[in-house]
Amino acid sequence: MLVRGVLIEDTFAEAFTMRVARLIITGRTPRWAREAALKLTGFATSVIGCKCEAGIERELSEGETLDGRPGVSVLFLTMDKESLPQQLIARIGQTVLTCPTTACFDGLPDVPDRLPVGKALRVFGDGFQGSKVVGGKRYWRLPVMEGEFLVEETFVMQKGVGGGNFLILATDADAALAAAEAAVAAMASQPGVILPFPGGVVRSGSKVGSKRYKKMIATTNDAFSPTLRGITESQLPEGVNSVLEIVLDGTDGPAIEAAMRRGIDAACRPGVKAITAGNYGGKLGPHHFHLRRIMGGAPRPA
Amino acid sequence: MSLDLTLRAAPTVPLEAEVLSPARLAGLSAAEAAKLPVVHGNERADVGDFFRIGGAADGQLDITGDLSMVKRIGAGMAEGRMVVHGSVGMHLGAGMSGGEIVVEGHAGDWVGAEMSGGRIVVKGNAGHMLGSARRGTPVGMRGGEILVFGNVGNEAGNGMRRGLIAIGGDTGDFAAVNMLAGSIVVLGHLGSRPGAGMKRGSLIAMHPAELLPTFSYACTYAPVFVRLYLRHLRRLGFDIADSQVNGSYQRWCGDGIELNRGEVLLFDAAGTASRG
Amino acid sequence: MGSPLRIVNGRVYDPANGVDGAVRDVCIRDGEIVVDVPPDAKRIDATGMVVMPGGIDIHCHIAGPKVNLARKVQPENHYGDVQLRTRLTRSGTGGTVPSTFATGYRYAALGYTTAMEAAVTPLGARHALEELHDTPVIDKGFYVLVGNSVLLYRLLHEGRREEFRHALAWWLNATKAYAPKLVNPGADELWKGYRNANVTSLDDKIGALDLTPRRVIAAFIEAANELGLPHPVHIHCNNLGHSGNFETTLETMRLAEGRRAHIAHIQFHSYGAAAAKSQSNPTSRARDIVEFINAHPNISADVGAVMFGRSTIMTADAPLAYMLRRFGTGKWVNADTENESGCGIVPFIYQDRVYTNALQWAIGLELLLCSADPWRVVFSTDHPNGGSFMSYPRLIRLLMDREFRKEQMARVNQKALNQSGLRDCQEREYTLSEIAIITRAGPARLLGLAAKGHLGVGADADVTIYEEDANKEKMFSAPRYVIKDGELAIEDHEFRVSREGRTLQVAPEYDRGIEQVLEPFFEDFYTVRFANYPVDERYAPHAQIIPTAPQAATSPAGSAPR
Repeated sequence: MLVRGVLIEDTFAEAFTMRVARLIITGRTPRWAREAALKLTGFATSVIGCKCEAGIERELSEGETLDGRPGVSVLFLTMDKESLPQQLIARIGQTVLTCPTTACFDGLPDVPDRLPVGKALRVFGDGFQGSKVVGGKRYWRLPVMEGEFLVEETFVMQKGVGGGNFLILATDADAALAAAEAAVAAMASQPGVILPFPGGVVRSGSKVGSKRYKKMIATTNDAFSPTLRGITESQLPEGVNSVLEIVLDGTDGPAIEAAMRRGIDAACRPGVKAITAGNYGGKLGPHHFHLRRIMGGAPRPA
Repeated sequence: MSLDLTLRAAPTVPLEAEVLSPARLAGLSAAEAAKLPVVHGNERADVGDFFRIGGAADGQLDITGDLSMVKRIGAGMAEGRMVVHGSVGMHLGAGMSGGEIVVEGHAGDWVGAEMSGGRIVVKGNAGHMLGSARRGTPVGMRGGEILVFGNVGNEAGNGMRRGLIAIGGDTGDFAAVNMLAGSIVVLGHLGSRPGAGMKRGSLIAMHPAELLPTFSYACTYAPVFVRLYLRHLRRLGFDIADSQVNGSYQRWCGDGIELNRGEVLLFDAAGTASRG
Repeated sequence: MGSPLRIVNGRVYDPANGVDGAVRDVCIRDGEIVVDVPPDAKRIDATGMVVMPGGIDIHCHIAGPKVNLARKVQPENHYGDVQLRTRLTRSGTGGTVPSTFATGYRYAALGYTTAMEAAVTPLGARHALEELHDTPVIDKGFYVLVGNSVLLYRLLHEGRREEFRHALAWWLNATKAYAPKLVNPGADELWKGYRNANVTSLDDKIGALDLTPRRVIAAFIEAANELGLPHPVHIHCNNLGHSGNFETTLETMRLAEGRRAHIAHIQFHSYGAAAAKSQSNPTSRARDIVEFINAHPNISADVGAVMFGRSTIMTADAPLAYMLRRFGTGKWVNADTENESGCGIVPFIYQDRVYTNALQWAIGLELLLCSADPWRVVFSTDHPNGGSFMSYPRLIRLLMDREFRKEQMARVNQKALNQSGLRDCQEREYTLSEIAIITRAGPARLLGLAAKGHLGVGADADVTIYEEDANKEKMFSAPRYVIKDGELAIEDHEFRVSREGRTLQVAPEYDRGIEQVLEPFFEDFYTVRFANYPVDERYAPHAQIIPTAPQAATSPAGSAPR
């Protein structure tokens, strides 16, 4: 299958079930909501080293938030149920609570099973905190030097998907970067999806385990590293000199598929030889995103 | 179609009509509904003695007429919806735990006294003791919402512990007296001694007020939670200005003779203007 | 007085006359039990039913200023329990402290025909009598609070024992009371004089007076016996409710030295100190108390059992009520009646999971189940202190139904249960005859009411007829018939007549000269002039004077009282 001359490999991205929360961070101005979100989602690229994966889903206008202020929607994922509240409490406490003017709300559809995040954070108020119920939901008011920090008592945790991906195989590093940037830009408006890596792009794709170091759980993806073409079992086609990967986490499979469709389509541009995806033979992750199936339904580029 | 009751004989003395609630009338024929008991003064009577009944029960109950002498409408109700096209007497929705009552006219005293859930909407004015504790008990309203678009009498939210009371107009004296927690929003003016004896809870008002000396001024700021309430109330039909949503409020802590954990938040027009 | 009546085929429990469940007729005419009635007399077929004398509550709080304070302070009990007017009965309110009319109706509806209000200040006598007048159906009387009277203390302090006795008799007459009542004697003087002060032992000095509780109690026991009162002095001991108070209770009972004395709500006085220094919870010493009573026939007691749920603590023991205020539901009253008594009200909830409450519950049962003489350890909850009289049927079931009791025991605080001796006596089940003793025959004998508590010829025709039921709570909750003074007050569970009961009083002899001793004190220290103080006949229109007579120190169990 070719998209504008770019080969779409007959393979699939293999993704995992993760736990996801959506936080709505609002602020006096868009800037301060963003500042908190950037800190909150900083160093949250991969559960391998960060224990969580998080990213800004999108910016919200005043009309879209509960308190009528500009805000930012953040998706926050962990591998298991237990670590999601731990990570949320630690990170909201250090990055949103501390950030001027912000408030923090839950952004997922309501379910009975909710994480006591604001409930844990409230003790920062040292007994001076108070709560309010508005529209059936409880919020905690924590007195702080600036005034008052408002945080929802509980947050919804739902099953999400982590590790959707595709690889851009390009003739040179500039072409790879340009294609990756185009893909990220195309995916930015897709709700329910975040790209947890820097600028949405990862250059150091990994494989499970190590050929040499037993303690390493992930090491460089040598099959796709162009400098190793001569000394390893390379999977790179002729003429490919640089590969970049886009990793996607999201609230559900369809959201990831939709984003992948847009991203891959945008990445199919001059200098790109092929698009492929990373998987583990299909045995580890329950979600399989077949590139050709996804692209079969791709809209015609405008 | 809803079940329709129309007052045809105005009671000469108060009529106690707790049976006027959607669940009590659900599934009844007009003839059966007419047989339900009410108390007229000190005598027992039937619903049919006072009301003409039409329509069929489907969870909504419509009552039409001047029911100012009818007490306990919707008292204790737990579900369903009731619309009164007219005014009602005392104890409207007292002790209710769910459902919704809408009164197009005015309501008497004790609206939603000790209610624990549901919503009461009064388009006109309401009397004293709105959402309050009954005599002898320390705890008033425990949940739900009371929305009065007009004015209310004295002691609104007496002993209130949870929930929201919103008042479009003015209050009488002692708004939020002995309040334990919860929120009261007053868009009009407060009477004397607001918040007297309050332990916790919030009284949010849009005009300057004279507070008791046992309240102490804390600061002027723009609390985010007030935005939530005001936007919520705006959706429910209250006339709320952007300047109030975005505005600054003086926070007064009190009542100092009690726990001192309550607050009166007074809209500060000057502070709001300076925020730009 | 109603038409002649013959109750046929009922199983009759009349322990005072040695009748234990025999099927026999009971005949009634002119308000009395008679040998026979004409064959055309109205018949009540009591087949499958139990016939007993009407119930007698020897210790309850149903009328007077403090009861009314308790009503006023709890309006929430009223709108939650409204008694509607019927053709015959008046409206009222319930809760733990019902209104006067509701009190009368509800006692009657439980099969009770007599109830004694246990604490009225002398100055409150008028109020109490007016309320008793409005307490329909049942007969009633009250005990007058004289145990902290400043004037009586002054006479004792000065060693004027004769005048003290005359003064006591004068007071009983002046207030139309039935018996003298002591409440935490000596405490008021301290409570009024010193911040949070209370009596802690029988040998505490009472303020500036040359008196101790020991001397005061002994003087009252002696005087009451000398006056030949039908009911001896009714004593609410010192240290009520305090850990380790059982010793005070034993000491108090020893003071009687063979003379009659009645200890009120003894459950509240049967507490041991904490089991170890490191603990603060009281323990049960019910066994010590009940063994003493078993061995001393001059002593009687009512139990003052505790039942879980709402109650209202109301007492003349002001320092106690002040201490309890923080355990109640938030409201409390403390008051003082000049020269006479204190008062405290604390709405309260006994909870089965709470150690102390569960221990109190267990001790009440332990006392009743370990008692060897049901004639002298009789039934009460100190209504409404330990629970409302409306809980009597449940308490009866606890006594009669071992399995039910075990079920209930499993639900209460087990630490408390283990500290009580309830498990040691848990096999005992009260018989119907024993229930008839502790709720009827026993109280009548202790009160010296010769015509009550039994169904012998000449007795007041106060009769209750219950439908037999394995569930004793159900059985005792709603008698089918209640006959008061020969009239069918309740028939088929419904009131048939509207009637007033009698007010029971004593009128012991005294030397009129005592009035010259008392009058100056009134003029100096009372807000009421001496001449205006005594209650006149108009306040007790249905009075019955129970004669005084030399009383035997004991009366052998099981024998007829007349």
